[in-house]
Amino acid sequence: MADAEDIPERRIHPARATLRRLFRHRLFVSGFVLFGIVAIVAAAAPFITDVDPNRLSMRNKFLGPGGAWVFGTDSFGRSLWSRVVWGAQLSMLIGASVVVLNAVFGTLIGAAAGYFRRLDNVLMRVNDALMAFPAILLAIAVTSVLGPSTINVILALSIVYIPRTARIVRSSVIVLREMEYVQAAVAAGAGHWRILRHHILPNAVAPMIVQLSFLFAYAVLSEATLSFLGVGAVPPTPTWGNIMSEGRDFMREAPWIITIPGVALMITVMGLNLLGDGLRDVLDPRLRIQQ
Amino acid sequence: MFGCSAELIRLAIRSLFGAIPVLLIVSLISFGLMRLIPGDPAAAIAGLSASPAQIAQLRHDLGLDEPLIFQLAQYYKGILQGDFGRSLLLGKGVLPATMERLPVTIGLSMYALLMTLMIGIGCGIIAALRQNSWMDQAAMMFAMIGISVPNFFLGLLMIILFAVKLGWLPSGGYIPFSQDPWGWVQSTTMPAFSLALLQAGLLARITRSSMLEVLRQDYIRTARAKGLPGRVVILKHALANALIPIVTVVGIIVSLLLSGAVVTEALFSLPGMGLLLTQAVLNRDYPMVQGGLLLVTAFLVAVNILVDVLYAVLDPRVRYG
Amino acid sequence: MKRLALTTCLVSLAMAGSLHAERFTCPVRGGDIVFGQEANVNSLDQMTSSTISTRNIAMNIFETLMTRDENNNPILELAESMNAAADGMTYTFRLRSGVTFHNGKALTSADVAASFNRYNRIGLQRSTLDNVAGWDTPDPMTFVIRMKRAQPTFIEALSSFSVPIVIVPSELENDERQQLRSIGTGPFRLLEFTPGSHARLGRYDGYKPNTAFEQRTGFGGYRVACVDTVTFRIVTEASARVAGLETGALQAVEDVPTRSLEGLRRNRAITVLPLQNWWIQIALPNVSVAPTNNLVFRRAVQAALGAEDIMDAATDGNFRLNIGFQYPNQATYSEAGRETYNINNPTRARALLRESGYRNEPIIILTNRDYPPMYNAALVMEQQLKAVGINASLRVVDWPTSIQMSQQLNSSEWHFFHSGWGTQPALGALATMQFLVSPNAAYRPRDDRDDPEVMAAWNDMNNLPDQAARNAAFARMQALVLERAYAYPFGALTKVQAVRANVQGFVPFRIPRFSNVWVQR
Repeated sequence: MADAEDIPERRIHPARATLRRLFRHRLFVSGFVLFGIVAIVAAAAPFITDVDPNRLSMRNKFLGPGGAWVFGTDSFGRSLWSRVVWGAQLSMLIGASVVVLNAVFGTLIGAAAGYFRRLDNVLMRVNDALMAFPAILLAIAVTSVLGPSTINVILALSIVYIPRTARIVRSSVIVLREMEYVQAAVAAGAGHWRILRHHILPNAVAPMIVQLSFLFAYAVLSEATLSFLGVGAVPPTPTWGNIMSEGRDFMREAPWIITIPGVALMITVMGLNLLGDGLRDVLDPRLRIQQ
Repeated sequence: MFGCSAELIRLAIRSLFGAIPVLLIVSLISFGLMRLIPGDPAAAIAGLSASPAQIAQLRHDLGLDEPLIFQLAQYYKGILQGDFGRSLLLGKGVLPATMERLPVTIGLSMYALLMTLMIGIGCGIIAALRQNSWMDQAAMMFAMIGISVPNFFLGLLMIILFAVKLGWLPSGGYIPFSQDPWGWVQSTTMPAFSLALLQAGLLARITRSSMLEVLRQDYIRTARAKGLPGRVVILKHALANALIPIVTVVGIIVSLLLSGAVVTEALFSLPGMGLLLTQAVLNRDYPMVQGGLLLVTAFLVAVNILVDVLYAVLDPRVRYG
Repeated sequence: MKRLALTTCLVSLAMAGSLHAERFTCPVRGGDIVFGQEANVNSLDQMTSSTISTRNIAMNIFETLMTRDENNNPILELAESMNAAADGMTYTFRLRSGVTFHNGKALTSADVAASFNRYNRIGLQRSTLDNVAGWDTPDPMTFVIRMKRAQPTFIEALSSFSVPIVIVPSELENDERQQLRSIGTGPFRLLEFTPGSHARLGRYDGYKPNTAFEQRTGFGGYRVACVDTVTFRIVTEASARVAGLETGALQAVEDVPTRSLEGLRRNRAITVLPLQNWWIQIALPNVSVAPTNNLVFRRAVQAALGAEDIMDAATDGNFRLNIGFQYPNQATYSEAGRETYNINNPTRARALLRESGYRNEPIIILTNRDYPPMYNAALVMEQQLKAVGINASLRVVDWPTSIQMSQQLNSSEWHFFHSGWGTQPALGALATMQFLVSPNAAYRPRDDRDDPEVMAAWNDMNNLPDQAARNAAFARMQALVLERAYAYPFGALTKVQAVRANVQGFVPFRIPRFSNVWVQR
């Protein structure tokens, strides 16, 4: 399992070679394309929609997809195209924020726990406890405490996922700490901070990147689930989960209201999963799943 | 293989003691979190049609005006005596309420686990044996879709198709197995499938890769070279060895299933633990959330210990690792 | 408009049915009904639960001394007579003979006393008994309530179905809160109950109908169980309820979304039954903070509001414009203050807004998403206020949080609070107007100091000995509340129920009543 010898070796690979390998990887490319489309749509939201996603138009409710409204309208006559496109932006925003918070705090906590043995016990017990909660329930409880809003959803999802990220970083750090070159650095009298920064963390980056790409997918999914359960971003905020939650009562007569954001959600998550698979195959071959 | 049973017991005991601080922290977090949630449990429980006077009366009846530290002390005192408190919403003990609901969730999870194992291992084996064929591609595409569909969306789609359009299956509600086994199957098939698909996707990917790993090993090649029929090789040698990583994953899957049940039970109105706890959080039913979460966590910890021990039985190396 | 006319027609037909001189007999006996209920039920303890979902089921099982008829007038149920002393200090009930509980035991005054004891200990609305000194059981068929002081409205309170004093066998006196065993005297007995899933009721063959009546009326009257069993199944998804009704998996459902109605009306196997006046859609100002403490500003808001659009969004088109806090079928109904209703005049609103000195302060509309009509109404109100130049925005929380926020003293976190008043307006003027007086006046006066004139009208509503004078006091209070813009009632919401066409005799009411309902073969 732990053929970690190839880790320092990979450092000499130039970044360009890795990139070339990535873009030759079929899964990575298809994931990149899917995710790229969603990301572009999200970024272009102000330019490709002309109707305020929250504008009510009671005379135009329940229009089917196609025609001037593109995706049709919902129970308040709001443009679904606008809502789904702006929803993409929110999903990206929430996913990216959770990823950044995880990258920062997950690394800090994981590295501290993995490197300093005395901290390990305390940090990992709290970590285990947080991980022992059913994830969605913990997120529901945290958003209930903080109140429903986009920022609080980001915080809640971070609280749920940081322990998981920290655990992964910790295990890489524990392995790396015992490596000979690190022990040599310790013997040479290098400071903890220096060892962590120069010898350990750079080598823990690869599994981190893979983990974060999957985390992005989980965050987007969980946000939609929270909104769907009515504890996510405040309505009428156009998140995919909110749109689906509001469309639930009309799924017989107007199934497009839940199907369109649902498919958008699926495309995003699938794109990220493919992206993650590709990254894992190229960056972290130990965990390879597909050839 | 089972010679070191004393060691296995020691492993189990060590894990059990390791779980105590975790459970202690879980109980503290759930206690604190619930008290921080704004919103009046009395208003939640009294419902829409209650008058302000009724809500005030209820608040008093529920003893919600006692000091926090007193409530915490009561809580721990109760736990030590095996009393997990009394649900504000249901008016009955947390333990009996949990015992009533847990079978629903466990039944659903077991059904989903069965589906997961059948679909996941099946797809994984087919994909590994026919590596790079169209069957492999199809199975892996299916697995990819499985891990990408949100389970509530899948549930909704199934409700639209099988309950609303075709009318084949009930869209919600629960029929206990003891009352009507066929009814139970009907009422839990859609929820179990919506739970299982994601895990089946995960399992298919893992089964495929560990099968491929094993198939490359020398002894399999030897077995094949000796002319043993392909099916025997697969079942006896390859699968048995591929089982080790799969068992670990199954442990993770059980806890994911319980977590996923939160959404699925709400969507399909199944009276399980997930629905009970969601309702409890949303209604500020403090004792139910505290006690229920502690019990569920304890259950999950027990499952994980079981998996650890099983893992040690299957793979003696870990005991010395 | 057509829909409204049809509804009226259905209601009057139902009335005609109940006026039939002949005593009801089941045209068909037997059969099973499954009812798709929207909200979860946690307990069937009718003494300690105020939720509608509990009442839906429990009021088919339990009965009370007195209850309400179809038009909400008090009627006798387990008592055959009630004598109020001239000084209002005692009420003497004579119990009906031959009534038995579901466990076979005969009803006596000892059971009534035990039920009152339990209610007085833990009943949620035990303040009903505040003016009661005690009760006696001079003989097994007589129950006497002694008052501390006369209370003209006591019978109105006693017969309330909000949290009714249901009569249970004396051995249940010490059942704990939420744990009352389901043994009543009603036409149905409980067979099985799984909280969160379903409750199954079966016909009680020992039931003795109340022969003082010919037909079922309101919660009481001459009741007979025709069907063998009724199962209340919790089906939270509206689409799933409709689908269940169409496939015949459910025989009756509540709360049908408007979008599904057209299809259901065309379906000859299904009867659609609108239940008018389910609740009064309402918003309440927070009078303790600026600018909603300014009457002119509140009037500007009043002038800006268009009830039709708000109700249309709230109910998806199923509503009736309604003035004030009572419904036209009630004796207390009054149109006092009608000039404040549905003004929908942006020009006048803007003029009043200028007069009020409003300087674009942010206005927060507090609502929740547990009840979509409230959320929808708030969404439209926000637009209407924005249209006249008010800087309004929504604050969406969950129901328990919104209640807690709205009840906070001198809160500066919100300006308008959205709610729906259901049970209380149906119970009458007295039950409704308690929302507008201390200690929890919904318009949140500063430091809880009521408007003295509103308070005076309230005291008259309670204490004047004559019913007509009390009704006049209600009209006065309603006019004051509306003119001073302490509340914005938008109209009456219609809740649509539907049954399979072979389910006969089902008339929507505040609970789904399954007595005098039969299944045609």
